[in-house]
Amino acid sequence: MKLSVMQENLARGLQVVSRAVPTRSTLPVLNNVLLRTEDGGLKLTATNLEIGMTYWVPGKIEVSGATTTPARLLTDIVAGLPTNERVDLELQAQETLHIQAGRFETRVKGIDAEEFPAIPTAGDKPTTRIAQNVLRKALTEVTFAAASDEARPILTGVLARFEGTQLTLAAADNYRIAVKTITILDPVEETSIVIPARSLDALSRVLSETDDPVSVVLSPSRNQILFHVEGIDLVSRLIDGQFPNYQQVLPKSHTTTATVDRDQLLKAVRLAGFIAFSSANIVKLHIGKEAATGLMVSAAADIGDNHSEIEAQVDGDGTTISFNAKYLVDVLANVPAEQFSIELNGPLSPGVFRPVDDADYVHVVMPVKTTS
Amino acid sequence: MTAGRLTIIHVDLDAFFAAVEQRDHPELRGKPVIVGGDPRSRGVVSTCSYEARKFGVHSAMPLRTALSLCPNGIFVPVDGAKYQRVSREVMTVLRRFTPVVEQVSIDEAFLDVAGSEGLFGPAPEIARRIKIEVVAATGLTVSVGVATNKLVAKVGSDLRKPDGLVVVQPGEEAAFLAQLEIRRLWGIGPKTADRLHGLGIRTIGELAALPVETLARALGEHGATLHDRALGIDADPVVGGGEAAKSVSHETTFAVDVTDEAEVERTLLALTEGVSARLRAAGIRAGTVAVKIRDSQFRTITRQKSLPEPSDLTDTIWRAALELARPEVRGKKIRLLGVAATGLGQPEQTSMFEIVDEKQRRVVDATDAVRRRFGDRAVTRASLLHRPMPSPFERDPASAVEGRVGIPRIEDDIE
Repeated sequence: MKLSVMQENLARGLQVVSRAVPTRSTLPVLNNVLLRTEDGGLKLTATNLEIGMTYWVPGKIEVSGATTTPARLLTDIVAGLPTNERVDLELQAQETLHIQAGRFETRVKGIDAEEFPAIPTAGDKPTTRIAQNVLRKALTEVTFAAASDEARPILTGVLARFEGTQLTLAAADNYRIAVKTITILDPVEETSIVIPARSLDALSRVLSETDDPVSVVLSPSRNQILFHVEGIDLVSRLIDGQFPNYQQVLPKSHTTTATVDRDQLLKAVRLAGFIAFSSANIVKLHIGKEAATGLMVSAAADIGDNHSEIEAQVDGDGTTISFNAKYLVDVLANVPAEQFSIELNGPLSPGVFRPVDDADYVHVVMPVKTTS
Repeated sequence: MTAGRLTIIHVDLDAFFAAVEQRDHPELRGKPVIVGGDPRSRGVVSTCSYEARKFGVHSAMPLRTALSLCPNGIFVPVDGAKYQRVSREVMTVLRRFTPVVEQVSIDEAFLDVAGSEGLFGPAPEIARRIKIEVVAATGLTVSVGVATNKLVAKVGSDLRKPDGLVVVQPGEEAAFLAQLEIRRLWGIGPKTADRLHGLGIRTIGELAALPVETLARALGEHGATLHDRALGIDADPVVGGGEAAKSVSHETTFAVDVTDEAEVERTLLALTEGVSARLRAAGIRAGTVAVKIRDSQFRTITRQKSLPEPSDLTDTIWRAALELARPEVRGKKIRLLGVAATGLGQPEQTSMFEIVDEKQRRVVDATDAVRRRFGDRAVTRASLLHRPMPSPFERDPASAVEGRVGIPRIEDDIE
């Protein structure tokens, strides 16, 4: 294998695929990135067996071939080379990669490419396509709500329900749920799958702010999903199992609504969070009866207390409810709406948060039962 | 703690389990009684009476060895529940004298009597009254040490067993320790002792005379601590009493240090069963789980983590305890394990989907009911079957778990 690529392209490609490199693996070859000449360029591949990423770097091939090289090491080395420099890569004896850029010369020992697991790539006709900016915004608004601990593996995934030209994404961690419906470009027969939230995080980093579409390929056996954008493939395994029926927990009615400015509420909750953090991280929302004082955010702990009053347009009976501050900050920080409407049914019922300008998003947070 | 004043008392029951058996079975009195079970089994001696000690029998010795040393010994099984009950009676007596009682195991406790002297007289007088009242209440004798700190009080109580009373006056600590053999000091086990013997050190006084640097070179960080101890310096306060229940915990000291991870995990399960049953009985849930691990070098660590939501279920608490303990026990010889549930009665995050299904809750409720009616061993987890698990020592629920680290016990004193 012998070829030349530009430093920026190679550096960017390594940076992208290294997100799929496991933090530690018992299989040594997984710590490496696969380099393979393909389509007149260099294809980089990394995988942690849950997600696989490939990135195609344009280049000039003299001799085709393949090898694997320690991913983090190669990423660091290439990032340290001068930009705008041509990088010559050559596979030498004993699986050693020779990296030459101007007067910088490095040799790194690798592992035979044959040992690298096969990663499926896009070749099939896409199941559907989605505008990149639409999918990216939806992922930002949904994936954070997925569970991070493995107590219930299904909740570490995001439910994706395709139906006609709509895709509904839902993530929940047992204390909150985020649901968003977006439009897809090609109709799909009704299908529900659960995609690891980690894979979608990696995906949202490669999506750009354009309405150019990302292709989505659902494997016929329904155990993998593949996303393809210009030069990049991301394939992820799916999570087996039944996602809980979240429709059941979405409240159908409410007795109090408060419409507030997102920024103001976020500021108030963050402030209260500093106090709340020292104990159980609980902040209290108090909404007075119609047209009364607005919305009061407060926290009290051993080290002190905090109260903020923010303007709100209130409808209904008013109530007081406690939430874990983290869950409020998460939704308010990740959903970029001007205003939110908060729908409540009393202190022990789930709270519903809706961005006022987006009827396709809903977020539900379970309250905290306080003794007082 | 009141530094420099004679207010710290260490109370240690004499040959506790054996003494209880001799009390309850008059025919055993004056005879070599060995508590531990069938001498043909693979178990070890839990405690033996002073009559048996004359034959060279001691705690943690394999029962078969004990049998060969003392063929006329009377071997009796361990009755953990009974010893626990008697232990509580003793602790009740101790609390008559001060609220600051720190129970460190089933058969010993520290008291700080600062503030009680006006009522009961100076600490040595309180110590004498404790001895009398424990005998009156339980028929058992205790050995008592009185000093300005826990370290010296403990060495004192150990010195004139059984039925001893040793008072070390303020300022006399170093002189008192100087003539004693180094093994009597906290934190000197057989290995450290061997290394010190190699340096020609036999007594605590010789240890104290050694430059700190030399000790640190020979024993590492531990060396500096030992130097302080050899001088009778110890700032560890008596912790206990005065506060509402902050934690529920069970712990157990192994008769023989354990390296088998499966054994560690089973023990954690047994301890967790006890802890969670008490939580359920009290109708409270714990937000945090802590484990305490002491290795053969007396290094004690505690690790804790918050649960995603407060729980009183054995499985949930055990899983958390395993997660905490696994990385810490690997490759170590474990001497003591403890499981504590803290963060009691915290506000409760309500959940969206019921994680604990009703079935599991019904199983737990049913087993609790069976145990209440037929005893703790009436229903047992399969993995704990046929494994003689010592009844765990229950942490005094009236005191916090924090601040309880680093109270090593003398290596050969395991009763």
